[in-house]
Amino acid sequence: MAIVEISGLKKEFGEVPAVNGVDLSIRQGELLVILGPSGCGKTTLMRLIAGLEQPTEGQISIAGQDVTDRPPRAREVAMVFQSYALYPHMTVFKNIAFPLKAQGRFTKGEIEEKVRWAAGVLGIEKLLDRKPRQLSGGERQRVALCRAMVKEPSVLLLDEPLSNLDAKLRASARDELQRFQRRLGITTIFVTHDQIEAMGLGDRIAVMLAGQVRQIGTPEQIYHNSGDTFVATFLGSPGMNLLDRGDYTLGFRPEHFHPSRGQRDTNGEAEFSYRVSRVENLGADTLLYGTVDGASEETTVIARIPSTMNLPVEIGASNHFVVQSEHLRFFDKRTGKRTDPRPL
Amino acid sequence: MSPNPRFRYLTDRERVLGPLMLAPAVLYIIGLVGFPFLLSIAFSLSDVTVGDTSLDFVGLQNFRSIVRAPEFRRGLVNTVGFTLVAQLIILVLANILALVLSQNFRGKWLARTLLILPWATPVALGTLGWLWLLDSKFSPIDWVLVQLGLLGPNTLLGPGNHMNFLAREQLAMASVVAVQVWRLLPLATVILSAGLSSIDQELLDQAQVDGASFWRTLFQVKLPLIAPIMSISLLFSFIFIFSDLVVVFVLTRGGPVYYTMVLPVWAYFKGITGGSLAEGAAIALFLFPVLMAAAILILRTARRMEVA
Repeated sequence: MAIVEISGLKKEFGEVPAVNGVDLSIRQGELLVILGPSGCGKTTLMRLIAGLEQPTEGQISIAGQDVTDRPPRAREVAMVFQSYALYPHMTVFKNIAFPLKAQGRFTKGEIEEKVRWAAGVLGIEKLLDRKPRQLSGGERQRVALCRAMVKEPSVLLLDEPLSNLDAKLRASARDELQRFQRRLGITTIFVTHDQIEAMGLGDRIAVMLAGQVRQIGTPEQIYHNSGDTFVATFLGSPGMNLLDRGDYTLGFRPEHFHPSRGQRDTNGEAEFSYRVSRVENLGADTLLYGTVDGASEETTVIARIPSTMNLPVEIGASNHFVVQSEHLRFFDKRTGKRTDPRPL
Repeated sequence: MSPNPRFRYLTDRERVLGPLMLAPAVLYIIGLVGFPFLLSIAFSLSDVTVGDTSLDFVGLQNFRSIVRAPEFRRGLVNTVGFTLVAQLIILVLANILALVLSQNFRGKWLARTLLILPWATPVALGTLGWLWLLDSKFSPIDWVLVQLGLLGPNTLLGPGNHMNFLAREQLAMASVVAVQVWRLLPLATVILSAGLSSIDQELLDQAQVDGASFWRTLFQVKLPLIAPIMSISLLFSFIFIFSDLVVVFVLTRGGPVYYTMVLPVWAYFKGITGGSLAEGAAIALFLFPVLMAAAILILRTARRMEVA
């Protein structure tokens, strides 16, 4: 069942459309990630759902009710901002109690009980008397999450909540966030520009570009069956290799591009003569940069090879590389959209 | 081409350059603040007058005679009272104005310009304007009140056609407060506007998503966040009103009788007009401990804000 239904949503700032015709339906209890480069309109989309911006066109309904014209407080949404936006003059307890007090329908005792429960869920009971400036980044994030969930919203909106954490903490915070979301079964929309976060967290991912949703699907679908060249190159690090083949574009992922193992299977593989110009050792993997015959010199083709594989590759010379044909992707040259496989 | 070696030598020597750059400010403070201050202490303990400038030590004689005068008690009460009442009104009005100006509306720049005008006007000139507005015969305020049917025979404000603002004890006091508010409101508003615009927009968005109403956002988020900057504004206007000579001097000269007398004006009357430099100095020195406390508070608050 869809809990959030967005149809034909548009938001223009002056002449510039930030969100340009978005249709989305978010299912009860799922974690939907909105992924896109900066400036693609993902934060605007989130602010529209929260009610902080009024759409130019289109409709938003939450839990079966049209909320397009309602202010944020009448929407049953909670939001965690990128900066966490903790009220600096209030203790952690007061921060968490704030949305409950604002609702004005709880007694002091009920508020106390709810705050303690929420703090227990996130393991921050010990921090309740502190002020935000006395907390670490990870603790602040938990407090912000706690304040968002305490009013038991229909939808939880998270705007790049992990981007203020250092890389190590981010991995554990991601894990924690996912377990927390599963445990409460709270419908969550998560905005990020980080594809690792998106792939790791999302039940589904909506990839946005220029105010439009380019593709929506599970992480596997988005990654392996990218709907167009933008999604194909935006996901993966590095993204998909694209080769201009006259009337179509051929794509394959760097991890599927590897040296031929010798036995020839012309039906099952595409063969390339690969001239490697640079080798980058990343530890677990090695990245090769080079060009292939039959494509222009400017088209850099990247191969990602596990370091466990002994590299029979010579820099500067032509090497025999292959891609299994099931890993080849074909795109329309003009529209960039995915097309059916073609004979090579 | 190398720079003048001697010049470079000087600018490189911070120990010389620092004191050199500070010297004008230090000289200024010693000459125009420190020396007069010490002189006024010396005056207050002597029997100096305009006619007899020899400093003969008389101990606390001047202070004793001042304290016994009824003008002193009235002046002290008025100085403190005017300051506190004006302060309170400024606080409320400045907050309202700053909130209004934080919104976007048509003609905002005009509203801003008009608002800042009293601050740009010399206090003495502005007060002269008020003197006419409150005049006993020609006051346009009286005229407006009469036209509105609030003033005149059988009306709310009495049978006469004139309010006589500056001739009636309560109204004269209220007039002084009103002019103080008028001239200091722009400064307070500008300071508070700066404070409001420095609040992180995400915090206000957060308050909205948290479901806070306008009043809750104002009293529980905005005002606490601008409290430090508000205290600076309060302390500044406190010093301005507390030590002000011009408004009362131009508007009422302390009258009617001495009902609107404040200490700075009385010090002027005693010391300069009356020629008793010693007594004038003693009166002025009464302001010193209060102003000093306010100055210390300002500096401490400012420092705390830097840390935060």
